[in-house]
Amino acid sequence: MLVMLRHSPHGSSWLREGLDVALVGAALGRKVHVLFLGDGVQALIAGQTSGPLGQKGTHPTLDMLEMYDIDTLLVDGESLAQRGLTIDDLQLPVSLVDAASLPRVLAEHSPIYSF
Amino acid sequence: MKYALLVQGAPYSQQASHSALRFASALIARGHTLGTVFFYHDGVYNASRLATPPQDEPNLVEAWRRLHQEQGTSLLVCIAAALRRGIIDEREARRHGKEGHAVESPFELTGLGQLIDVHTTHDRLVTFSP
Amino acid sequence: MLLHILNRSPASSRVPFDALRAMGDNDRLLLLEDGVYGAVAPLAETFASIRGRIFVLKEDLVSRGLEHRQAETMELVDMQGFVALTEQATQTVSWY
Repeated sequence: MLVMLRHSPHGSSWLREGLDVALVGAALGRKVHVLFLGDGVQALIAGQTSGPLGQKGTHPTLDMLEMYDIDTLLVDGESLAQRGLTIDDLQLPVSLVDAASLPRVLAEHSPIYSF
Repeated sequence: MKYALLVQGAPYSQQASHSALRFASALIARGHTLGTVFFYHDGVYNASRLATPPQDEPNLVEAWRRLHQEQGTSLLVCIAAALRRGIIDEREARRHGKEGHAVESPFELTGLGQLIDVHTTHDRLVTFSP
Repeated sequence: MLLHILNRSPASSRVPFDALRAMGDNDRLLLLEDGVYGAVAPLAETFASIRGRIFVLKEDLVSRGLEHRQAETMELVDMQGFVALTEQATQTVSWY
């Protein structure tokens, strides 16, 4: 299954709740790939902290993905470039997806969850 | 075909519930069945029996309930998303020492695993989000 | 073939552009809710590359006072037409 994460951390719970779907899928034995796209790439920026009032960040959850055998982290290169980011700015090793491959990533996965 | 819907928008705040209910009647009219509606994110507010809309607005909770009565559709509410938003049933209220509860049958609090399973038991999943 | 479902307008969001980049050559796109604002020129030009594969939910266009204002590239569907699109697609992807 593919979990597309398209929202940034802290501003809403979409990212957290999308990650929960990925973790539960993996816990149930599904092969889970994660695609970071649009503002979702902000989830990967190194150096995030928890927010005021003890708002939990999502960065610790990203570190847990590997423990759940979620080791395919795909990142849309165009989304990174639009936001002035490169792969060196990210907290985890990822696979870059170029413009030509992006539609193929979706075509090759079932089911797809979009958050 | 057997359909499942994922509803993630709060009723009366976002159009997602309306769109999902309209889609539900249309798929039934086309001879399909609606097996499951899964409520996640702010969609869990659709399950609140305490919602009291003005009389000239549609009663969305009632519309969901009718789907269950007429189609046997399961109305599943993600328990993790629901609890932190105060959408709890009697059992959870007791367990957490709270007075009052928002969720009653035919809505059921359930785990996210049920959303993952939807794909093995349904032909289509369509998501309605804010 | 995937059916992409979009409820954001290109006037207010980058999400439509992400959806377009993710679409395969045969994929289809349905505009609904606030997504239907993108069906009217000049915003409709955003979707020029997927001519013949773009649909608009009629009731959302009508409720917003935009009936008959959609670009000629847009194919109108009613709610049953939306269901039919989901029948024909192998799966759906929602963009919001």
